[in-house]
Amino acid sequence: MKKVSECGKRRGDVAAKAVFAASAVFSVFAVFAIVFYILYESIPALSEIGVFNFIFGTLWAPTKDFLDVSERFGVLPMIVGTLCVSAGAVLVGGVAGVFSAICLKAFCPKKLRGVIGGMINFLAGIPSIVYGFFGLTLLVPMLSDISSTGSGKGILASSLILGMMILPTVTSMTKDALDAVPDSYREGALALGATPQQAMFKVVVPAAKSGIITSLVLGMGRAVGETMAVMMVAGNVPEFPKGLFSNIRTLTINMVVEMGYATGLHRQALIATGSVLLVIVLALNFGIGLARRPKKYREKKGKNVLVSKSERSAPVFVKSGSGCTVLKYISIVCVAAVAASLATLIVFILVKGLPHIDANLLFGESGNAGMTLRPAFVTTGLLILIALAIALPIGICAAIFLAEYSKRDSRLVRVIRLFTETLSGMPSIIFGFFGMLMFCELMQMRTSILAGGITLSLMILPTVIRSTEESLLAVDNSLREASLALGAGKLRTTVRVVLPSALSGIVTAIILSIGRIVGESAALIYTAGAVPYEPESVMDSGSSFAVMMWLFASEGLYIDYAYATAAVLLIMVALINVAVFLVKRRLAVKAFGATGQRGGKKAQKESK
Amino acid sequence: MKQVTQNIFDFSGDVAIKVKSLDLHYGAFHALKNINCEMRRGAITALIGPSGCGKSTLLKTLNRMNDLVEGCRIDGKVEIGGVDIYDKRTDVSLLRKSVGMVFQRPNPFPMSIYDNIAYGPRTFGVRKKAELGDIVESSLKAANLWDELKDQLHKSALALSGGQQQRLCIARALAIKPEILLMDEPTSALDPISTGKIEELCEKLKEELTVVIVTHNMQQAARISDDTAFFLLGELIEFGPTDKIFASPEKEQTLNYISGRFG
Repeated sequence: MKKVSECGKRRGDVAAKAVFAASAVFSVFAVFAIVFYILYESIPALSEIGVFNFIFGTLWAPTKDFLDVSERFGVLPMIVGTLCVSAGAVLVGGVAGVFSAICLKAFCPKKLRGVIGGMINFLAGIPSIVYGFFGLTLLVPMLSDISSTGSGKGILASSLILGMMILPTVTSMTKDALDAVPDSYREGALALGATPQQAMFKVVVPAAKSGIITSLVLGMGRAVGETMAVMMVAGNVPEFPKGLFSNIRTLTINMVVEMGYATGLHRQALIATGSVLLVIVLALNFGIGLARRPKKYREKKGKNVLVSKSERSAPVFVKSGSGCTVLKYISIVCVAAVAASLATLIVFILVKGLPHIDANLLFGESGNAGMTLRPAFVTTGLLILIALAIALPIGICAAIFLAEYSKRDSRLVRVIRLFTETLSGMPSIIFGFFGMLMFCELMQMRTSILAGGITLSLMILPTVIRSTEESLLAVDNSLREASLALGAGKLRTTVRVVLPSALSGIVTAIILSIGRIVGESAALIYTAGAVPYEPESVMDSGSSFAVMMWLFASEGLYIDYAYATAAVLLIMVALINVAVFLVKRRLAVKAFGATGQRGGKKAQKESK
Repeated sequence: MKQVTQNIFDFSGDVAIKVKSLDLHYGAFHALKNINCEMRRGAITALIGPSGCGKSTLLKTLNRMNDLVEGCRIDGKVEIGGVDIYDKRTDVSLLRKSVGMVFQRPNPFPMSIYDNIAYGPRTFGVRKKAELGDIVESSLKAANLWDELKDQLHKSALALSGGQQQRLCIARALAIKPEILLMDEPTSALDPISTGKIEELCEKLKEELTVVIVTHNMQQAARISDDTAFFLLGELIEFGPTDKIFASPEKEQTLNYISGRFG
């Protein structure tokens, strides 16, 4: 060999590792920045009003100047309201979600499994503004017929809509927990004469208990932080709830509704409301982190209980076992109900919206005289570009650090993962407030697409990290060995061999991020703005699709356009789901080929 | 030519690899116990023994692939081309350039055939198209693949058959002109015809380089190797010319193994 240079060597390796590590620590940094900056900005209000008065005050009347400041800023009704609707959401969506996952795992024909899985993914992709609008236009009128107060809004409507929204989270996490239960448990129960449903409900589900509880807590976290949907159906009255139809206001509603016009102490009090929300969400998140820890002990305990139970169930089985059969039918009914709700939503929105998608909506001039969707194309495109330009490099580097450069399950990796999960569990409105305070004001970007894009980049970062890391870990280790054995350094191996093999994970991350951005509203209203004008540069305000829909929906004149935009958003969600499905399928084919079972598909064809 | 390391490999001597009182631990597990042997240059040395006897482990210490294994500790000395490869001044990249490796399962990169072979040379700074083209051609010829594949160099390597993939991996290893080629049960995942082709290839490779091959197949060891080393439970039981090991082994354990009494 003539040319032997230092190319394959550690020239860049140390620097590269530092970059990867810094990127990985970035999400830890982001969480700290968000938490501390919002807490910091809350100090003025809390010190003037008094922490106790603020949290336990029962009256929220910021404009009643004749009252003392210690009396007119009380958020207790909103805390109670938030907790009520979140509990309701867990009751509705949590139960339905857990049973759906059980059905998906055990009682669903194989052919239907993909369909139901796709359905759950679709539910997860629908923007919250569309859920809220659906609740406002279909659910609330229906409920008002049976309501004692004559209004359909309130706790029941909010719980139903939020339940629908948290269902995908609960279902997919419960499914993961059920999948993690060793198959031998189920087989053991079956071998003792248990029916499949008895094996499921008496053995597998109890064994997955901690995972199921985690999924419910996480679902609750989602519900606590949800803004736009609940805003449209809660009724928005800052009083204590008295019944299913009492109108209430949540912390998030308080933040998003009044921020638009609040000044002075009122504005600071709204930021302090954000702190209260943040504390609740963080408590739920870290609660999960703590609950997960003493796993070994719990597993042992669970096992003993299981063995004795399944042993007992055999003789009992002859007589009854009908309880489990009932549970089985409940789980099937739950899936049917979820499917029916989704179908109703889709049909309703499409029937009402499709006829109103016209040339003016898509291409017409937009301004104060008449609003159209045209600015949203430009704005959303810019937001996507900015957010991806920031989140992709950081996220990919972070994933490389986690998957390639650190020991599995070392303490550092666990800390980074915990913070990444915390970041992904933060409510949009918190991101919105942080972006407004940090980027728009402190960094003086004003309300601009740039500020909105940077805010969004923080939101999509966890998705990018997780999706890339998963696909990096799926890359066959023999490829790394092959590259290293050829004298290539770690950096070259990672960049040239491992990363290209993980491309589909990165593509998936991009598609999912686009989906998130297209449907995002709460984080954008106070960062990128909510104006109907076309932006001229990234320093202008602009509205994304979902924010435009909010503008349409909040003015009576544009209700048809709101339906039409909802339909457009649903179509986009569908396209994004299809795209992710296709990319993942390609990944599966590729991985199959790389495991040495060469030309899997081709060989099959030939043998036929 | 720029050498970064002070240790320069010199393969002019008769002995290519010298292992001196080598001990290797995986955590608490003592995987190799006081190994001493010398492997001749230009010969094929076969490492045989039952599963878990340490033969693959020894192979991996020869190009420091064990560096990747967590908790792996090495005492003793491994000299290759006159250089102590575990010395601080030894460059691992250059070591692996001189000591190529072929794995048990074919592991072509998910790239074209051409790019697979060009990967190594590119790592070491070869950029010119003509030069790379020459290397690809000569490597494929050396691996008896050129005639089969010359018209489809830009096809994905994953589309090849298992035997072709393995020979491609050999060609890929040859592309950086190693002095030594380590083969870790290279035919265990292949059919008999592909295995025959690889064995044929080994004979040919011997003319230019030193081959160390781990194999489970004793007939294979007897057919192709010049020297044979028999391992048992981490110890090197017997090392010598293949004819002698198979015809009249000195140790009883060796006899038991090659006559199929355990393994």
